Amino acid sequence: MSPPNIKLPDTLHSINPQIMRRGRSASIVKVEEVGENANEELDQTASLNSEWVNYKGAWLIHPVLMLMGKVFIDTVPGVNQELSWTIVNLCYLTFSYIMFHYVTGIPFGTEINGVYDDLTMWEQIDSGAQYTPAKKWLFCMPIGLFLLSTHFTRYDPILFGINFTALVVLGVLPKLPQLHRQRIRLMPEEDFSSAPTPIGPPTPKAYD
Amino acid sequence: MNSTVSAAASTLEPLFVALSYGLDTLTRAFYAVPGSAVVARYVKSSHQNDPGRTVLELVLFLFAVATLLQGRRRTDSSAKHFIKFSDKEIDELVEDWRPEPLMEPLQPEEEVELAKIPVISGPTGVRPTLVTGQQVVNLASFNFVGLVGNEHIKTRSVETLRKYGLGSCGPPGFYGTIDVHVDLERDISSFLGTESTIIYSQAFATGSSVIPAFCKKGDVIVADAGVGFGIRKGIQNSRSTVRYYRHNDMQHLEEVLHSMDRERRKKRAPLTRRFIITEAIFDHDGTIADLPRIVELKKKYKHRLILDETTSFGSLGKHGRGLTEHHGVPVTDVDILYGSLAHGLSAAGGFCSGSNVMVEHQRINSSSVVFSAAMPPLLAVCGSEGINILRNDASIIPRLQTNVRAARTVLEKTQGIEIPSDYQSPVIHICLRPRSGAATLAPPEQQSYFFAEKQPAATLHYAREERVLQQIVDEALRGGVLITRAHRLKGQENPEPRPSIRLAITGAMSVKETEDAVRVVREAIDRVLTAEAQA
Repeated sequence: MSPPNIKLPDTLHSINPQIMRRGRSASIVKVEEVGENANEELDQTASLNSEWVNYKGAWLIHPVLMLMGKVFIDTVPGVNQELSWTIVNLCYLTFSYIMFHYVTGIPFGTEINGVYDDLTMWEQIDSGAQYTPAKKWLFCMPIGLFLLSTHFTRYDPILFGINFTALVVLGVLPKLPQLHRQRIRLMPEEDFSSAPTPIGPPTPKAYD
Repeated sequence: MNSTVSAAASTLEPLFVALSYGLDTLTRAFYAVPGSAVVARYVKSSHQNDPGRTVLELVLFLFAVATLLQGRRRTDSSAKHFIKFSDKEIDELVEDWRPEPLMEPLQPEEEVELAKIPVISGPTGVRPTLVTGQQVVNLASFNFVGLVGNEHIKTRSVETLRKYGLGSCGPPGFYGTIDVHVDLERDISSFLGTESTIIYSQAFATGSSVIPAFCKKGDVIVADAGVGFGIRKGIQNSRSTVRYYRHNDMQHLEEVLHSMDRERRKKRAPLTRRFIITEAIFDHDGTIADLPRIVELKKKYKHRLILDETTSFGSLGKHGRGLTEHHGVPVTDVDILYGSLAHGLSAAGGFCSGSNVMVEHQRINSSSVVFSAAMPPLLAVCGSEGINILRNDASIIPRLQTNVRAARTVLEKTQGIEIPSDYQSPVIHICLRPRSGAATLAPPEQQSYFFAEKQPAATLHYAREERVLQQIVDEALRGGVLITRAHRLKGQENPEPRPSIRLAITGAMSVKETEDAVRVVREAIDRVLTAEAQA
């Protein structure tokens, strides 16, 4: 077996404060992919965190919450139908965005080796498989809510525009399989100097 | 003009008739389906006289339906590595497959290496006999204070064997702890002057088990670049953030500590545990760490110190207490001190010593303690007896030190070699001086702070150096002295340490014997290197 060819990162720059500088990249928007961690192949436990989305109760809670929210907002005096539906729509989109597409990692325990630290809940569901039943349901939910809301109200163009944009940006785009594991960064900084932890060579597999 | 239009109209007329007939049929079919009126009413009221919106909504609706109809894809990892073969290709691959042998046949150099391993007949010691019948002087095995073959220890071991049997029947936490283990722990604590101690059953596993017990993900480790394999594995297991500082370079250590501190403050990151890890006598090259300076820095930057005393326990200091006694540093300054009983005391296993809290934590949280079998009781007794001898015999370490000095004096004048080891270290590493012109060492500015240079050129030179060193070892064996190259795990140590011959000086020989033996080694080096230079 020949020894693995190991390229060690040049960490000289991270120590010398004069050299450490952060530049600005030329582009305004940059799409970065979240790479696969070396441990991810070995680690099987993402589903522990995301199993619950497959339960039917978790499916049912979406329309139930929407209904409850709508009823609650309707009880506030002085709120007409357009505003009410808009509020329900926006709140649903915001909360589902934060829950599924903003927060990364796993909330419990540090025993799992930080493999899923950069992955959002959406990317963890079903270990990254696309078009699974849970994902299809979660995909249709905001669309269904939007279509319902346009049916029951007479939106002026502005409100329609707000609702539609919110739906597309917060509801549909993050869920697309093309954007799986991609992160959009605005005005990104070039990161020269963060020296990664030098990890030693992995212990060679027995069947190498 | 009119005629052409009417002609065109007449040819297209059957088409229009067909279209309208088709539309009619569809409409009738649609209204025949139950519930279609509801849908029609719904769409009509949604339309709200705004075709643009309706188009958008329609697009959304169709998109949702298309998504629903997609089949399920594979997961990430299997999708990435999945190659779809046709049946014929699969058959071909199955035909071609030959199972690999359980063991690869040896390469010629591996066979040579295997043949060259000297085999000792009978027990090892200061003057073992090889199976070839030759009696040699042993400068290869660790035997710093001459406890190998000690008659008193042997008698006590046999007594213990008769009393307890051989094995300890379980892990220390579950049925495996015997009173002799507790006695050994107490002996080590009182010898070192610490609060308590915990025993590990294998010396090499101590480091790689203690470090992950205390360092967790998110903690910060600042380690010497020259630490050995066990520590590196321990650091890797711990998943902490690690920065290495140049080997034994206290200036660089301070820079690294300072920069990490600043980084943390700038990021306003939460305070996590911070550690400095170093060895007392480095296994790779025999250098000794500068403990007073490290303790000073650790107090200044509020790090905890983990000190690996594998080779130094039982060989440094006035009574063999290790690096703390050697430098006169109070042992309470070292937060986690662990060492080996197998190297200095010629017993077996390792230990970790320090405050009560620190030791008790390991009884449940150190994987080697929880999951490995406890040390055999007779080896625990060997350890206790070894400590007794060290405590009571004040002349034993000075003898070792005299021998070390004598050996270094003899080796001083030798041409063509470099000795990176500290002058007081009983482990002496002899490396070949790089040939002039063949730049094995990169200039200091380019040298990364690992103590070996970049890999590809190095491996080429290393192969040649290993060959020459093996010739020196053979030559010395012909002269009656058993020495050894330092054997490493090829391809797994990162970075690869320089090939070297490792001499382990022992206090069991007289000064003259040591000098004679090392002189044989020196002559072997001279002979081989002159032959190389002429070749």
